Amino acid sequence: MEGRDDQPTADVESGARLRPSAVRSRGAVTWPSVDGPLGVSWEEAETSARRFFFWGFAFLPLLWAVNCFYFWPVLVSKASPSSSPHFSRIRSYVVWSSIGFVIFAVLLTAWALTFAIGGEHLFGPMWKDLVMYNLADKLQLTGLM
Amino acid sequence: MDDRSTDSDPVTAGESSILDTLGEDVIRIVSPVSLCMLLVVLLVSSVSSTNDLSSSISSLFLSSTTTPTSFSSLNLLLLGSDSTWEEIKSALVTALSFVVVVTLLTFLLVLLFYFRCTNFLRIYMGISSLFVLSFLGGFISLLLISHFKIPIDPFTFAILLFNLSVVGVFAVFMPKFPISMNQGYLVAIGVLTAYWFTMLPEWTTWALLIAMSLYDLAAVLLPIGPLRLLVELAMSRNEEIPALVYEARPVDPQPGDRVRVWRERTDVRIEATENSTNSATVQTVQETRLAVSEEITAPLIEAFPQTGDRHLGTEEEEDGIGLGSSGAIKLGLGDFIFYSVLVGRAAMYDYMTVYACYLAIMAGLGVTLLLLAVYRKALPALPVSIMLGVVFYLLTRVLLEVFVVQCSSNLLMF
Repeated sequence: MEGRDDQPTADVESGARLRPSAVRSRGAVTWPSVDGPLGVSWEEAETSARRFFFWGFAFLPLLWAVNCFYFWPVLVSKASPSSSPHFSRIRSYVVWSSIGFVIFAVLLTAWALTFAIGGEHLFGPMWKDLVMYNLADKLQLTGLM
Repeated sequence: MDDRSTDSDPVTAGESSILDTLGEDVIRIVSPVSLCMLLVVLLVSSVSSTNDLSSSISSLFLSSTTTPTSFSSLNLLLLGSDSTWEEIKSALVTALSFVVVVTLLTFLLVLLFYFRCTNFLRIYMGISSLFVLSFLGGFISLLLISHFKIPIDPFTFAILLFNLSVVGVFAVFMPKFPISMNQGYLVAIGVLTAYWFTMLPEWTTWALLIAMSLYDLAAVLLPIGPLRLLVELAMSRNEEIPALVYEARPVDPQPGDRVRVWRERTDVRIEATENSTNSATVQTVQETRLAVSEEITAPLIEAFPQTGDRHLGTEEEEDGIGLGSSGAIKLGLGDFIFYSVLVGRAAMYDYMTVYACYLAIMAGLGVTLLLLAVYRKALPALPVSIMLGVVFYLLTRVLLEVFVVQCSSNLLMF
């Protein structure tokens, strides 16, 4: 080991038990990503965070969720003097991604639950035509393969 | 398999032995394989549950199980009930043609890799995984939705499918992605493809399994085998073959000054073979429709540092390999798929055969890992496990079932 003393454990043998995201101690985040030492460096992390954020606008809100998950250590810790200069920029991307994902998830869940629970007495006979299993039967989608 | 030296580590006194991390290594490759098999068994038993009773009864008299798919029902319709010999013949022809197509495509892959068309290969594989995730994934989820009558609307369904498949393609091919998502999506692709394969008629499935394991054996071990050529090419150039390979997380991540991206390693390691990525068109003799199968097969490979006669004390020199001295076991996705196909097909008969085949496959995998540790070169992961699995399936079906049924019905056991 290099003698970094902000590693929570110096025991290489327990590396298997070491959760990479637990590499945060004394307020400083050592690794930007949840993969820890196997993940990206700080510069690459900023590029990745930005890319995930902007690609998420292409109807891919799951990328925003991936962004939050991947940079979880950045999301949950606060900026401290010893953290990397990229930290704040990554953090802003990740925070905005999480806001976007939460809004999307709320909207989608609301719509899906309305559809599922409302059922016929909310939508009328149209519900039967719209629901996926009838639609799949009508369009013979399950016979394609 | 690999040595881990901790000479520079102040905490541990001496060198660590391989036994310290061997169990963890093996578990990290056995768990995803088991998970893949479990999901395929669940899919198979849930979607075909309405036909389960009739198929198990009829399978006692006929030699093939009637599966609720278009293939076998069309088969039976066309040929009638004494189609056993016809089925065997068509199965052999199908399996043989599949192996021929796979061989040709693998040679094509070797050629493309030789001419350094790596980008083309990556794009092609991206498209094929997109296909598998979206079309096959959509098809199987539609099967589940229809079966369980889930009240989902097409708008939500489309959004979810689009998101999951596109992110899946990114997860599998972009190097800068969460490892857990990468591994999860590889298992998902394996599950989907394996489930699709279990929809083939029974004799065809078994013939295909045996043919593919023989092909794997030949392609990896023979000197003219395409996979061996591929591996030697990749080794000589120190490149990674663009293929769908599941890589277990190394047990011992040694953080160095340079943070290494997990996938981009400049290898001094001995990289064993990675297999081809194929898109094969399977034409069954009786079926008039073309079934397009995305098939990714790869043998078991292990990447580990060239320790050899290297002293354990010179660990720091190995830092350039990126993950320190910890090698990671890599298993090709095709192995996942064919193991799961075997177990899924066993599930279509009874759960007893599932347990027997699962144990056989795990034993085969253990034997293969052992051989890998001994020989330290590319090894085919299919033959041992598939052969053991087939043998156990036959023995269970013929011998064990009779025994267990009689014991249970006389209230002797269970």
